Amino acid sequence: MFSCWTRRQKANMSKAKATQPQVIHKVIMVGSGGVGKSALTLQFMYDEFVEDYEPTKADSYRKKVVLDGEEVQIDILDTAGQEDYAAIRDNYFRSGEGFLCVFSITEQESFQATADFREQILRVKNDDNIPFLLVGNKADLEEKRQVTVDEAQQRAQQWSVPYVETSAKTRANVDKVFYDLMREIRSRKMEATRQSNGKPKKKKEKRRKCTLL
Amino acid sequence: MPAQEGEDAPLLPPDTPLKIMEEEKPLLPGVTVRAATPERLVHLCVESFGDDGDLIDDSEYPSVLFLMHKWFMTSEELGKAFVDIYQSCDETILCTKPGCIHLHSNKGCEIQAYKAKICYAVRYWITNFPVHFDLDTHLKSVIRKFGTLVNSEGNHMFKELIDLSKVPSYDWMRNMSVRPGNSMRHNRKVSLVFNHLEPLELAEHLTWLEYKAFRRINFTDFKNYAMTASLKDNPKLERSIALFNGLSQWIQCMVLSKTTPQQRADVIVKFVNVAKKLRTLKNFNTLMSVVGGLTHSALARLAKTNACIPSETQKTMMEYTELLSSNNNFSNYRKVFNQCPGFKIPILGVHLKDLILLHTALPDRVEGNLINFRKMAQLSQTLKELTKLQNHEAPPVCANMDLVNTLRLSLDLHYTEDEIYELSLAREPRNSLSSVSETPSTPTKPVVFADWLAGVSPPDPNTINKHVHDMVEAVFKNYDHDKDGFISHAEFEAIAGNFPFIDSFCVLDADQDGMISKAEMKTYFFTANCHALRNSFKHDFHEYTYFKPTFCIHCTGLLWGLIKQGWKCKDCGINAHKHCKDLVVMECRSKQHAACNRRLDSVSNGPSPHQDLTYSSKRKMSQRQKRNRVHVGTQTEEAYFTDLSRHINGNWGIRDKLIAENKQLKEKLEQSNEQNIMLKSHLGVIRKNTIAFILEQMDALNIQRDTEV
Repeated sequence: MFSCWTRRQKANMSKAKATQPQVIHKVIMVGSGGVGKSALTLQFMYDEFVEDYEPTKADSYRKKVVLDGEEVQIDILDTAGQEDYAAIRDNYFRSGEGFLCVFSITEQESFQATADFREQILRVKNDDNIPFLLVGNKADLEEKRQVTVDEAQQRAQQWSVPYVETSAKTRANVDKVFYDLMREIRSRKMEATRQSNGKPKKKKEKRRKCTLL
Repeated sequence: MPAQEGEDAPLLPPDTPLKIMEEEKPLLPGVTVRAATPERLVHLCVESFGDDGDLIDDSEYPSVLFLMHKWFMTSEELGKAFVDIYQSCDETILCTKPGCIHLHSNKGCEIQAYKAKICYAVRYWITNFPVHFDLDTHLKSVIRKFGTLVNSEGNHMFKELIDLSKVPSYDWMRNMSVRPGNSMRHNRKVSLVFNHLEPLELAEHLTWLEYKAFRRINFTDFKNYAMTASLKDNPKLERSIALFNGLSQWIQCMVLSKTTPQQRADVIVKFVNVAKKLRTLKNFNTLMSVVGGLTHSALARLAKTNACIPSETQKTMMEYTELLSSNNNFSNYRKVFNQCPGFKIPILGVHLKDLILLHTALPDRVEGNLINFRKMAQLSQTLKELTKLQNHEAPPVCANMDLVNTLRLSLDLHYTEDEIYELSLAREPRNSLSSVSETPSTPTKPVVFADWLAGVSPPDPNTINKHVHDMVEAVFKNYDHDKDGFISHAEFEAIAGNFPFIDSFCVLDADQDGMISKAEMKTYFFTANCHALRNSFKHDFHEYTYFKPTFCIHCTGLLWGLIKQGWKCKDCGINAHKHCKDLVVMECRSKQHAACNRRLDSVSNGPSPHQDLTYSSKRKMSQRQKRNRVHVGTQTEEAYFTDLSRHINGNWGIRDKLIAENKQLKEKLEQSNEQNIMLKSHLGVIRKNTIAFILEQMDALNIQRDTEV
């Protein structure tokens, strides 16, 4: 075993031990290979250039963040490298509370693939209102754009999910997509607890954006 | 570090730009370099060896360099770098021994000592990474030249060190297909039938397949995948992933092919037992595939089936789900895997992810053009594990090639996720409460071999052909007990159990003689597989004028108009709207089929050849339509019907008409089939008569000739 712990990881470890039940939002990154899922994940996790990144640590993809004044943890499952393991994708999706469905605006094929991911997620979660963001990455490569904002927005509208363009390179909108998704997840969770506390309703009519917060 | 390094350091010209950055805290023992130029990296490697040829302080640096060098330079370049250093030794190394003339016979000469270390380093490379040498002819020739150079200086001890003749052959890494090794000759007796297979046998043979597919993937394949995240031009990795997906789906299909919950539960229990054995064999990759298949939502949702699974089995399954869970970055798996000694197969996907993320997080070069060696050290930890199997001995299993061949083909046959899920819905429909938006559950319908998974392209026809050949040979070897080259009905049924949703005996028995010959079986499996290939979906459509009402294969709507109402495939005869023809999801059945139909039509003088075709194609289509296509289909259908309702009152009338027509056509088809059989027997009689006649004629001729003579 190697024992090169960075300061941050040590800090994370001790904190994880110290603090007990904290809200964890589980986010899953999906999308074809090479669209920049990992780059987005790393940008969000480690902000800047990482020198001592350690991919095998248990808490490599967990981070404490302050979401609208509340301290929560985000747990990111990046499906990079496993896109082609179609048979077990299903199992990964099950644990997710929210999904960032990423494609590259420079690759039409990756945009087409989002429909398959969406369908599979809906089937596994059996929930049409699962927190979900359509993310067009590599927005810095405008000159190589193959997917127009219009068609992406159209698709997002059809699914009634937000569409955001990001760039892992310039860091544009990177925080936004993760925070937006966490807000969705949180409001879903609150809705769920309200329902279980209140009268057990059979089916909720429509997802509503939580306007209280 | 020994004195050597201290002496070497001042040799660097003082005015050169930064050539090396040191680590404050080495990640691995001996890897003290943070980043450096390639030349410096090679020097460091040489200096990791002591005068006796042993590694100083068990440094891991040389092994990391040799393992990782292909990330930033070719093996040929690295080999040349060693040669360059060797050649420039006389100028760069300062020998402090008084009166030394720097010949190899001079004891204590520092130049000679350095040269020896270079040879030790190369020897280390050869012994620890022989695969580099066997597969890379450029590198081989560099080292051979090096040998000549060393020899010319008269140093035979050095020559001995860099001898390549003992490098084993890695020929198997060049091949795509898995061939039986010599160790597999002592075949043990096993059954090829799933129901009779012991979990241990199944686990061992799956491990054998996994091992063979896994160890072929070389460093460059991993590197390319880490950099591009694409399987393009990466056939070995693709093959391994196809095996993984194939197994997972085979398990789901084997379960879903059973009709009662108890039967399905029995199959699940069997595969959980297989999983146990895989865990014992430390084959984590196959274990992941099996557990992934068993916990897939297509099976997990089967409440009735799950109720039949004994609690002990459920506990085991929970345990494995926990072990392989993605929680905490697969921490459970990582812990267990690192603790396992000896033979083991890692979960490829997990480690591929590590590689991709490391590559994304860390740049290859830093500070201008220095190679980021810290990145190499980090990558090496994963790659060491992944490439270890290449040099590892065969797994502790003894494989029966017949079973391997049978299994391999079973895993070749692919279904789409949608098809499997639909089948699951058909077996145990959703209760109406839980779903609103879902399509209504479909009646049980046979699933046919279909599309491949996105991303993983199917093996090329030659590979499949070979697999089919091997498997059929295996089946005949084991099941053709009377060795007459045919397989009986009962024997076939036993084999069919391994292939969920195989067609019935009669379909395989093409000539209907009550027996299946080798050729028939091969043809069947090969065409079954061909249907899976995308290109078989290509039809040869041409505009066509119909004289009878004809329906579109895709949207089932009528082909409207007086002339050129639709498009017809020249090969298989299906009909479609102009706008539907590109959406047709039915494969182009061979000409043979269509030809057969046509012949039948012309002979029987049936009322409408097109209608017959339309009917049978329609039926095929309904079998094949995938869920997502159904959505499209319904939309078009709706549009069509609204359009139609302007002309005719209501949709129901048409539907009823169609049903009635269907019935009629079905009857016609049955009649035609009967006629077909009758005609075939006629044909047989005629053939016999003809042959008899010819023989008679020949006899007569012979007699004539004889008499003339």
